[in-house]
Amino acid sequence: MTAPSIDFTEMTRGGRVHGSLYCDPAVFQRELEAIWYKVWVYVGHDSEVPEPGDYVRRQIGLQPVLMLRGDDGRIRVFYNRCRHRGNLVCHRDQGSAKTIVCPYHGWTYARSGELLEPTFEGGYDDNLAREDFGLMPVARLDSYRGLVFASLSPEGVSLDQHLGPVKEFLDLIFDLSPVGQIDLKTGVQKLRYKGNWKFLPENSLEGDYHGPFIHRIAFELHGRRTGLDMSSLYANEIPDVIRSLPGGHMVEDYRGATMAPPKRQPTPARQAYVAAMEKAYGAEKARQLLSTIPPLVYVFPNLMYLMTHFRRVQPVAVDETFVYYQPMFLKGVPAEINEARLREHEFGFGPAGLISPDDIEIMERNQKGVEARGNEWQFIGRGLHRTKYLPDGGSAGYTMDENHLRGMWQHYGRLMSAAGAAPAGR
Amino acid sequence: MADEAVERFLYREARLMDEHRYAEWLELWTDDGRYWVPCNEDDIDPTRQVSIIYDDRERLQQRVERLLSGSVLAQDPKPRMRRLVSNIEVAAATGGELTVESNFILGFVRGETQQIWAGRSVHRLRRDGQGFKIAHKKVMLINADQEMPLLQFLI
Repeated sequence: MTAPSIDFTEMTRGGRVHGSLYCDPAVFQRELEAIWYKVWVYVGHDSEVPEPGDYVRRQIGLQPVLMLRGDDGRIRVFYNRCRHRGNLVCHRDQGSAKTIVCPYHGWTYARSGELLEPTFEGGYDDNLAREDFGLMPVARLDSYRGLVFASLSPEGVSLDQHLGPVKEFLDLIFDLSPVGQIDLKTGVQKLRYKGNWKFLPENSLEGDYHGPFIHRIAFELHGRRTGLDMSSLYANEIPDVIRSLPGGHMVEDYRGATMAPPKRQPTPARQAYVAAMEKAYGAEKARQLLSTIPPLVYVFPNLMYLMTHFRRVQPVAVDETFVYYQPMFLKGVPAEINEARLREHEFGFGPAGLISPDDIEIMERNQKGVEARGNEWQFIGRGLHRTKYLPDGGSAGYTMDENHLRGMWQHYGRLMSAAGAAPAGR
Repeated sequence: MADEAVERFLYREARLMDEHRYAEWLELWTDDGRYWVPCNEDDIDPTRQVSIIYDDRERLQQRVERLLSGSVLAQDPKPRMRRLVSNIEVAAATGGELTVESNFILGFVRGETQQIWAGRSVHRLRRDGQGFKIAHKKVMLINADQEMPLLQFLI
């Protein structure tokens, strides 16, 4: 990686960020090398590939990979490229395979990635070592509570270090299940927008600031249907809600904002769910988990949890992004609870939802806005004067503060400024 | 050959959707109506797999209320839309209900964007006086498993 000609530290310093970071193709190219092919990137959840041979096709940056469960039960992530002449070995989004067969010349791989046979073997040198031609694994692979992450760089911090304190918030989400497990094999809503990928985490983790402007009607309808009053969130700003975590992660932490209980009587399924939670975690923790809004979480650079679902961000070009929404089912709860989660999700999210499409539209307009060059600095300074800096390098701010955006951009600036490391993944 | 009254009903529904006449469109539905746009595949189990839309009457009403509120960003400005409904076949007729299958192709223009949407609809139409009401409508988009732009209109 050559030294950057752009001063990324300067462009992300303090309460501002330079607009070219959303629209300069050279910045996008550098992000691929300095971020996407270097840091830990979320690939998928182990529940998506429950059985040996199950796979899903994914991308890390612009590179195709597949996540595959082997006969030994282990999940591996391989570059989706035949070792013969580079064809995609897997072209379906998901499925199950006895062996991985390249459709071009029939080279066949085991579910652990080893080459079983090059076809018409008689024509190959006897000394050709099959073990040199297995599917290429990613450099590093690790997981946390079933969330599988890959890094295309052999060097760097461990996943455990990368996640750091964000694990505590992921735990709060997984612990919504009385057995602490989730299922993401629930289908995928797929969206595209004409805008930079970084708009998505910025927008997704600050619903409190833009909510009253672009989601007013949706929140009103939501409140009427569920009996939850969202307006209390805006009436009084609460400290320590907006969290920046080391590693560029962002959290909206609502543990300090207990919601008024829904006006409707709990259904028998809900009662059974609450009972299971109390049995699993004790009355106090169960009450805490169920009476607060679960945290909204962004794990840098491409994973989010928001209200009903895990969300993956997939950059396509500097001004185009794919987004994948996967509703989260809880294991160990009555089927009605998960069905209700699904209906809740469809109400708000996906291409025809009543909430997130307004975000998508606003991000497309944002992409056009940042093409204007009068003054290219955008201001992310809300709460700068009252930010509480934490010993771990993160910070805490009030409900509508922008300290989390500042934290993310500073982390981004550091990654983009790092010089000298060999380009990863090539 | 589909019943002429069925054809007329589907054409009217298409016109109301094209012209953003949401309140009139909502009146076409029965009180127990279900509006379903599956995601990924045509035949998913909607209790286990996510849909793009899975509205009961209450949701349908809220969807329409939001569209009528004037605060849907993707409707400002409103897209121009015209669709063709064709290949209409009455697949079944039981009791007071008809199952009608049809194809559509929809031209959509908003801002600098032009899109073509296409799919197959299955209506369950319940006889209502001289006409029909929609008891169930399933729309199978040909791009249901692709990364798609916003679907902030009626399909």
